[in-house]
Amino acid sequence: MLTVTALSKNLPDGRPILNNIGFTVRRGEFVGVLGASGAGKSLTLRCILGLTRVDGGRAVLATGEEDFDLTVARGRRLREARRRIGVIFQGFNLVKRLRVLDNVMIGRLGGISPWRSWFYGFTDTEAAEALEALRRVKMDHCAERITGTLSGGEMQRVAIARAIFQRPAMFMADEPIASLDPSNSVAIMKLLAPLARETPVLGVFHQPEMTARYCTRVIAIRQGRIVYDGDPQLSQRQLQEIYGEELDQVLRPPVAPIPTTPELTPAGAIEAASAA
Amino acid sequence: MSVAAVPASVPTPVYTPPSRLFRRRLAILGALLVFLTGAGAALQFKPWMLVTDFHYLVRLAGEMLPPRIELLWSKASLYSSVAETIAMALLGTLAGGSIALALSLVAAGNTTPHPALRTLVRFGFGAERATPNFLVLLVLLIAVGFGPFAGVLALTIGSVGMFGKLFADAIEQVDPAPIEAINSVGASRWQVIRYAILPQVLPSVVANGFYAFDVNLRAAIALGVYGGGGLGFELQLAMKVLRYQDVLALILLIVALVTLMERVSDFLRRRILGTTAAL
Amino acid sequence: MTPPHLASHRASGLRRLLRPALIALTLAAVVAWAAVQCKVSLGELARGAVRGVEVLAFFFPPDWSAMPELFGPAFVTVLLAAVATPLGVALSLLFGLAAARNLAPSWLRTPARMLIGLERALPEIIILLLLVAALGVGPFPGVIALAIGSIGMLGKLLADAIEEIDARVLESVETVGATRWQIIRHAVIPEVLPSFLANAIFRFEVNIRASVLLGAVGAGGIGFELSKAMSLLEYERAMMAVLVTLALVFGAERVSDVLRRRVLEGGKLR
Repeated sequence: MLTVTALSKNLPDGRPILNNIGFTVRRGEFVGVLGASGAGKSLTLRCILGLTRVDGGRAVLATGEEDFDLTVARGRRLREARRRIGVIFQGFNLVKRLRVLDNVMIGRLGGISPWRSWFYGFTDTEAAEALEALRRVKMDHCAERITGTLSGGEMQRVAIARAIFQRPAMFMADEPIASLDPSNSVAIMKLLAPLARETPVLGVFHQPEMTARYCTRVIAIRQGRIVYDGDPQLSQRQLQEIYGEELDQVLRPPVAPIPTTPELTPAGAIEAASAA
Repeated sequence: MSVAAVPASVPTPVYTPPSRLFRRRLAILGALLVFLTGAGAALQFKPWMLVTDFHYLVRLAGEMLPPRIELLWSKASLYSSVAETIAMALLGTLAGGSIALALSLVAAGNTTPHPALRTLVRFGFGAERATPNFLVLLVLLIAVGFGPFAGVLALTIGSVGMFGKLFADAIEQVDPAPIEAINSVGASRWQVIRYAILPQVLPSVVANGFYAFDVNLRAAIALGVYGGGGLGFELQLAMKVLRYQDVLALILLIVALVTLMERVSDFLRRRILGTTAAL
Repeated sequence: MTPPHLASHRASGLRRLLRPALIALTLAAVVAWAAVQCKVSLGELARGAVRGVEVLAFFFPPDWSAMPELFGPAFVTVLLAAVATPLGVALSLLFGLAAARNLAPSWLRTPARMLIGLERALPEIIILLLLVAALGVGPFPGVIALAIGSIGMLGKLLADAIEEIDARVLESVETVGATRWQIIRHAVIPEVLPSFLANAIFRFEVNIRASVLLGAVGAGGIGFELSKAMSLLEYERAMMAVLVTLALVFGAERVSDVLRRRVLEGGKLR
């Protein structure tokens, strides 16, 4: 369970970009965070994860065994806390030159001694469990493939497998479907929703129709403040309040779907490598 | 009553388990270590000498410190040595680069007058690159005597070998469209080269030219050690008479010179390449 | 009297010529100065050419009987490079990691970059001379000089390649709770490994050439045989040594080309 209290962050000149952000995420919830560009939704997530310093407030992760104050944790404590959060970013989650299986196994690095991971690597048991995680996202047939040869949607599924493999207390996702075409987006949401039943998911999204369909709760941020926290179905007026002028862009389907051709074909790998 | 379809057993996907990968890596590492130990033994290379003989290095360091910086203003001939080294590198690059450019026109498939000539010139480039620099210098020292002139000639020949290949490759990679266009209006071979090929390769030639200067500066110093004049000659002279404080001062001077020249050549290259379009 | 529109055309024509003329003039002045510094003399060149041809005549025919004796030293030259390159690779790995802006703290990065720059400025021969002054002649200082000499090139290329890695990938691995060294092992190294290996193979080829040069100053191998023959005025033997060197370098170039292509395409990642 995640409890965020009075989170705030200021710009260098003193103006606040996050102002008194507070909410809770409990077991079984799939919370979607909505907001216009620059409203502060991704920033909130980064503050919770400790990727950005906060100027006030707290974010506490209660795993049932331990409580972690994410805003003050540093070094080893922060790593232990992060181990218990499975994060999925919009892209760039994975090391493209590694095999898919290796990328999934990276998920447990937080719990493996650096000496062991340097000199030995991962164990066969870990590999088998990683394969199980891949099976859950239906990517087990790609275990040996080089990650860079996968399409965007496939890579996001592997990223979810990595998060699953972590056996975290909670999942967080920062615009996980923003770079995907509609069918892949739906596939990813269909993966996240059942996950949320066992382990809570906190996700930042840019598509209200997705959160309306798949989330159990929606939080909306506007100009650094929470303006809504409740039912995922939002009325037109509420959406207008949240998005302002951007509403048209947000509701309009993308003109051209993001192509799902593989980002790095084997031939492309040569060019990329020789250009390096 | 419906019977639930029994799914055919899904085969486990094939993957290489980490333990096997680890063993493979260990084997490679082991082979490398065995090779290194064997080769080291064959060379009578005793790595433990690093520890046992370390005090020799320390003693040398002690003799070199403090560096005799007064050398910079007490020894007037030092300035002519610096000038010699720079001049050697400069002339070697310019002369060698020009000859290389001319020869590269023969060595490039799309401009060569005859394919046999092309093979010959390309082979010449390769042979020159493979010949040790100091040997070329030795022959030149016998031919024209000690001093920087031999150094200039050695660097010129060296530059031809190094950059002939680079220029030839660049010429072969030009866009054929302008060539066809100019050919179609009935231009002579020289006009094709002047208007279609040279403008395309010029940026690469200039950039390589500056790179060549950096390389030749270092080579000029190295050749000096073998007798070519300049700072390298001063350095090995100081070493021969065991004046190690002078040696360190000269080394510092060399490092400063090379780094400075690198900056200058970087700056000039950017200025010139920025305005090549105007020419 | 020139019509006004033609007058301006004439003036701009002159101005257009001015810049390249200025460049050509500066170049000519610089060349003239350099020529004087180096005591360039066309007369000497002509005489030298004649003398040079006479000298070259001494080198031919090469002493084929010496060839079997020279295989041993050639092998030694290759061994020197083969032992020095892995050592140099290991050292460059450390320096490269230490010199990367996105990995190393600034108190480590600045000295590392400075040392790499320092090494690049020094020709290997000077490093060897220093080591020989301290440790005496032989293969040991030769291997060390070659290994240290690799740091400049490999270290800089590695540091630059690491700095090119997308920071978001590294951040993504950081969020699973990995330590800095784990990020290096599992994200940084796989990304830069193909280009690093290719550079290392190229460095091996360079080290073979350097090994010949250093051999002349006492490190052994075919370089030593060459300089020995020259000082004994056995020019045909020296020519044979040159031919063996040529074969060696050509061979190394071929092997290096093939290996590098396989590394860059195969992407054999462990």
